[in-house]
Amino acid sequence: MAGLLDYTDGSSVLHRLNPLTKLVLAFAVCVAAFVTGNLWYLAALLAFSLGLGFVGGIGRVALRLLWTLVRVCAFLFVLQLLFIRAGTPIWLFVTDVGVATAARVSLRLMDATMPLVLLLSVTQASDLSGALVKVARLPYRYAFTLMTALRFIPVFTGEMAHIIQAQTARGVPFDTKNPLRRVSLILPLCVPLLVSSVGRIDQAAISAEARGFYLRRRDSGYKDYPFAVRDGVALLVAAALIAAAVLVR
Amino acid sequence: MTPTATETAAETATGTATGTAAAPHTSAIIATDRLSFTYAAGTRPALDDINLQVAAGDFVGIIGPSGAGKSTLAAALSGVIPHYWKGSFYGAVRVDGRDSCEQSLTDISRTVATVFQDIEAQMVAAIVEDEVLFGLENFGVPKADIPGRVTDALDLVGIADLRRRTISSLSGGQRQKVALAAALALRPRVLLLDEPTSELDPASSVQIFETLQRLNREQGITVIVIEQKIMLLCAYARTLGVMDGGRLVHHGPVRTVLEHIEDLETRGVNAPRVTTFTHALRRAVGAGLPLTVTVDETESALRRAFSGAANDTTHNTQGERDVYAPL
Amino acid sequence: MSMLRFDRVGYSYGDGIAVHDLSFHIAAGEFTALVGSNGAGKTTVTKLMNGLLKPQSGTVYLDGVATASARTSRMARAAGGGVGMLFQNPDHQISKNTVLDEIAFSLSFGSMSRAEQRERAAAIADEFGFRADAEPFALSRGERQLLALASVLVAEPAVLILDEPTCGLDWRECMLVMDKVRARNQAGTTVVMVCHDMEVVGDFCRRMLVMDEGRLLADGTPDELFRRADLFGQAHIAPPQMVQLALRFADGDDALSRAMAPTADIQTALNAVLPLLSARTVQSGTCGPVVQGGVT
Repeated sequence: MAGLLDYTDGSSVLHRLNPLTKLVLAFAVCVAAFVTGNLWYLAALLAFSLGLGFVGGIGRVALRLLWTLVRVCAFLFVLQLLFIRAGTPIWLFVTDVGVATAARVSLRLMDATMPLVLLLSVTQASDLSGALVKVARLPYRYAFTLMTALRFIPVFTGEMAHIIQAQTARGVPFDTKNPLRRVSLILPLCVPLLVSSVGRIDQAAISAEARGFYLRRRDSGYKDYPFAVRDGVALLVAAALIAAAVLVR
Repeated sequence: MTPTATETAAETATGTATGTAAAPHTSAIIATDRLSFTYAAGTRPALDDINLQVAAGDFVGIIGPSGAGKSTLAAALSGVIPHYWKGSFYGAVRVDGRDSCEQSLTDISRTVATVFQDIEAQMVAAIVEDEVLFGLENFGVPKADIPGRVTDALDLVGIADLRRRTISSLSGGQRQKVALAAALALRPRVLLLDEPTSELDPASSVQIFETLQRLNREQGITVIVIEQKIMLLCAYARTLGVMDGGRLVHHGPVRTVLEHIEDLETRGVNAPRVTTFTHALRRAVGAGLPLTVTVDETESALRRAFSGAANDTTHNTQGERDVYAPL
Repeated sequence: MSMLRFDRVGYSYGDGIAVHDLSFHIAAGEFTALVGSNGAGKTTVTKLMNGLLKPQSGTVYLDGVATASARTSRMARAAGGGVGMLFQNPDHQISKNTVLDEIAFSLSFGSMSRAEQRERAAAIADEFGFRADAEPFALSRGERQLLALASVLVAEPAVLILDEPTCGLDWRECMLVMDKVRARNQAGTTVVMVCHDMEVVGDFCRRMLVMDEGRLLADGTPDELFRRADLFGQAHIAPPQMVQLALRFADGDDALSRAMAPTADIQTALNAVLPLLSARTVQSGTCGPVVQGGVT
């Protein structure tokens, strides 16, 4: 039952890549998506991200993520069609420019989200922070903060799911079909989530301090994160993605 | 200032006192001296004049109704008070002979390893092995020693087979054991646990206490555990502390404390059913019955009383002090 | 007429089967415990009962209606009593700023007038000994659990589902919660309770469903199931202490064994043993002073 951003163990090429390489690769897809406006290339980037999911052995997670993003983006798509008035009308309020722009924005959003989430799902947060400290020379304090933030995302989404179930069970109509009504019901629940998260973050801080957090130095990490040939290949791919984006712009 | 263990047994046996202001004893690995604490936001003291001596090698259970100050006491023993939570702090906590105010939280944790109540919040890694690694890296354990220390810690808790598992795939009991292993890897002399079984089923709860008992007996690690389940404490702990309203109202060997069964019940702490049973039996019959705290003891006490062999009752209760049968 | 009926129900979370081919029914007014180790599928069963989870195979009927076709939030406030559920962690349930608002919130999605909502909420707050304007998050853990229970009971559910209601409570709070639940049961509410504490199960429940790995292992009264040794190992449950004690005497043939073996609680054990013991003590003449065992 892997939730969003939960680490999935494995030994695929993606798992074995240097965490920094993965980060660079994810950002390369992002940059490429914003450089190009070519709808075909944007779609190709999405296919590339999906492919990453299958290479990493988390194809099901990738598909589920894609489905979630498609739903969010469909909403955005319709919203954009409504507001973009430029171009020639083709059907009711829809214009040709509207369709192109809305498609571009929606695809870009998916392209920017997919690779980062997928690569984080095959990277342990502790490895990411370890590599950031040892290789990228980021101070440990910041790396730890990043790591803790990432670690708490699945914890809080799980907590939110529990809260919603508990509220539904007492008669709050979260199981309504109307998405706007659902949002209006969820907002007040941020209060209990906030209350419990403040306590948990205190616990995390205390426990880290008790386990010697402040004694840690750059070279304390047990693991090393050397670059291998496969990292070189992945970085070349990253560069190629951006180059192609510039070309097909 | 290394504590000597010779007087330990005598100290525990006679330390029945209800808040006796005993002078800090050298054999105590943790001692509080007239400790009082009020949270910065609080109006009444969460801890009120606590004098607790924990002898090295002891297995101490702390029980009490909600709001009695148990978790606050745990925070004070682990150094979280006064180093993290602020408030008015009176008296002193001595960890291994040194005042807790004069050491940092990290220094205290070299002696006292704490497993906090919210296991999920204290995990830092996604994989079991890395969770154990975290403390070892921080405390600068030489890299050559690290793999061995990780293996030892996992073996001690009996989870060597979970080494490469993701923590999110583990059950509550297994997570508790991972937290225990991560604490043990640092080779502490004291293990402090705050309600380790509150979310576990009975079988996993017994397993955690079995593990604690083994660590206590075989490694000589002092165990202090805050626990709501009196039956577990009666089966595994040697010393029992009862808290109520911020005070340590009883403290001594488990059986001695349970002699106050009526007082305990007015404070909202129930005795095990078998203890209530032998207590009622003893009141009705009079002589010949010791107060029992486990099923095993109760069975043999009944058989003995019935066979009429219980002439020397003092001898019997002495002999049973070391019976720590599983539930 | 059964209040709750599971008909060959199956449910799986994707990475493993949580509930497998489960069939049983619970009549109106029963007080049933659902026991088994962590991961046995108990919580899944409770969520299937009120439709939070819909069965992937088979059917769950709540008062004759299949849960698959009903919305959970509507079942919660059905006319004539819906299904109320108390979760393990009360903090997931609490979202308002005062005790009164919190309790009244359970009624706010129905057709009841606002004045009547406040009135009923105030009555329950009073029964539970809460100050109406108290802040929920300033209450202790045990008080928050009681508040969550009050918020469920205010809707006067016909079925009350409790997921480890005594977890994290001290003994006194535990008895407070259980007394409220028992009172509702005696007034006709059907109660299903997931519980790890066999002392509580033995004291309050009249029926026990034992689960292991998503299957139903046994169904019977606590008294009879606690004496079945085969269940202890399989479902990782240990009977209450007094039953354990009685079982130690099950195979004996002397007077003590015959007296103790059938006992199930403190009172019956006392009644059985006292006549034997007082005869003994008088006979051997060892009526000494009460021995304070262990005190030096």
